[in-house]
Amino acid sequence: MRGDILDKLMSMEEAIRKFVKDGDHISFGGFTTNRKPYAAVHEIMRQGQKDFVVEAGPAGGDWDMLIGEGRVKVYNNCYTANSGYSNVSRRFRDAIENGKMLFEDYSQDSMMLMLHAAMLGLPFLPVRMMLGSDLEKVWGISEEDRKNLDKVPNKKLVVMDNPFNPGEKVCCLPVPQLDTAIIHVQKASPDGTVSIEGDEFHDVDIAVAARKTIVTCETVVSNEEIRKNPERNSIPGFVVDAVVHVPYGAHPAQCYNYYDYDREMLMEYDTASKTDESFKEFVNKWIYSTKNHDEYIDNIGAKRLLDLKVVPGYGYAVDKI
Amino acid sequence: MDYTNYTNKEMQAVTIAKTIEDGQIVIVGTGLPLIGASLAKRIFSPNAILILESGLMDCDPLEVPTSVGDNRLMAHCAVQWPNYMFVGFETNEWLHDGDRMIAFIGGAQIDAYGNVNSTSIGDYHKPITRLTGSGGANGICTFVNTVIMMQHEKRRFMEKIDYITSPGWGDGPDGRAKMGLPADRGPLAVVTDKGMMKFDEKTKKMYLAGYYETSSIEEIIENTGFEIDCSRAELIKPPTPEVIRMIREEIDPGQAFIKVPK
Repeated sequence: MRGDILDKLMSMEEAIRKFVKDGDHISFGGFTTNRKPYAAVHEIMRQGQKDFVVEAGPAGGDWDMLIGEGRVKVYNNCYTANSGYSNVSRRFRDAIENGKMLFEDYSQDSMMLMLHAAMLGLPFLPVRMMLGSDLEKVWGISEEDRKNLDKVPNKKLVVMDNPFNPGEKVCCLPVPQLDTAIIHVQKASPDGTVSIEGDEFHDVDIAVAARKTIVTCETVVSNEEIRKNPERNSIPGFVVDAVVHVPYGAHPAQCYNYYDYDREMLMEYDTASKTDESFKEFVNKWIYSTKNHDEYIDNIGAKRLLDLKVVPGYGYAVDKI
Repeated sequence: MDYTNYTNKEMQAVTIAKTIEDGQIVIVGTGLPLIGASLAKRIFSPNAILILESGLMDCDPLEVPTSVGDNRLMAHCAVQWPNYMFVGFETNEWLHDGDRMIAFIGGAQIDAYGNVNSTSIGDYHKPITRLTGSGGANGICTFVNTVIMMQHEKRRFMEKIDYITSPGWGDGPDGRAKMGLPADRGPLAVVTDKGMMKFDEKTKKMYLAGYYETSSIEEIIENTGFEIDCSRAELIKPPTPEVIRMIREEIDPGQAFIKVPK
């Protein structure tokens, strides 16, 4: 497959070095504990990129770890939890309770529409939610502070009259201009064509909207093979800048048709993320002590990974008898 | 096995289940709402349709999921919508029709008009406790009739909450209209581990509608931080052993959300 003129396959090290920069306006795909691009997050942690302006969406341990490592400058958020394991992500909590990070709250519906509006190229977005709540009235970042922040819009939102129906209030939201999107998917081909199995969440939106898009995948298939079923493909190759082959690249999150979440790891992270010290021990043990995803996977161990394989028909893993 | 030793939490799940009407489209989150909705589907309202804010439509999971985007839901649903389509559906529901949907949300603090806080305790900018944030709750409360689930404690049932994540009836009868929200819907009930509250049709203020065998009117007054009318309170019948058996053996056998008493 190498040598193809449209070959975007590269190592994780190369993809993150080339396409993730300090200060990037950035968003990840996936949903709390499902299809989160953990292998890419680990590599960002190893390489040291920081000062991100984040569109977090339904986030979990992915952003919690980068927050814990002090890499986030502005956190536009709606929900951060490994639900069922850490019901509020703990480094996120710590950063806000102790004033370590700039943040802004939106509702999840609004954020999802903002990312979709980014894909549609809309200049701003009128919505009907958030009205009357403190999501509308209370701002995390003041208008004054916003003037000095790169990649942060001048206002959190603007409430105005619907020009087509005067008297009706609408909430106008800024549309993010993403530098970087990272998504983890089941299949991609060397030219960048992507096939997502199961719910796409907001992955297609951010992949299309961002200036630079990194796709990490469980399986690489040939350009010819992926074209046999175009109805299953959702992102054309020319949208994608890098394709990285990382089996178990969403671990400890789930990946539909491939593997379940790793409960043991999510529980270990829940305990470890309670204090800064035990969090540092966790990231040293699992991430900084490893050179790359292969070493990370080796440390998790073959048996543990095989036990996570989903049972076709169930969609999740069950204990072996 | 003894299925008569039901807990307050099980009583809460059963009470949630009974608020769902047959054939309704139910927006559920994980935890108690999913247990309640699964129970409704099996016993009280077999034609209930479960949808999730992640975009998974008409779900019927085999095993209890821990996230609204869980593969346990994704593998057993009718349609896997991207999230923005769920949002569009929810919004359009307001423009189309009234009551074919019902939704469950949770929160850390609630006031007498059913406004809910799930964002932070204390000062927003430097909170004592930071919570998850809105998730899908704000949008749900904007467009859909809701049932709110709470732990019944004085520090949670407050005269004034620290932050309004999800508006209820605002500050009274015309509260929602003033906020620019659809006025013909809002919170219908609050279900706690001690009882069920509803909202007065005229004043939109919370009143006690029902209490459990395992609680009492006095206990509820004691654990409510604002004055609450109890003149309409009735005892809610305890669940049958069969209902409790179903929760313990079929719906949440791993005790992911409801612990079985030892």
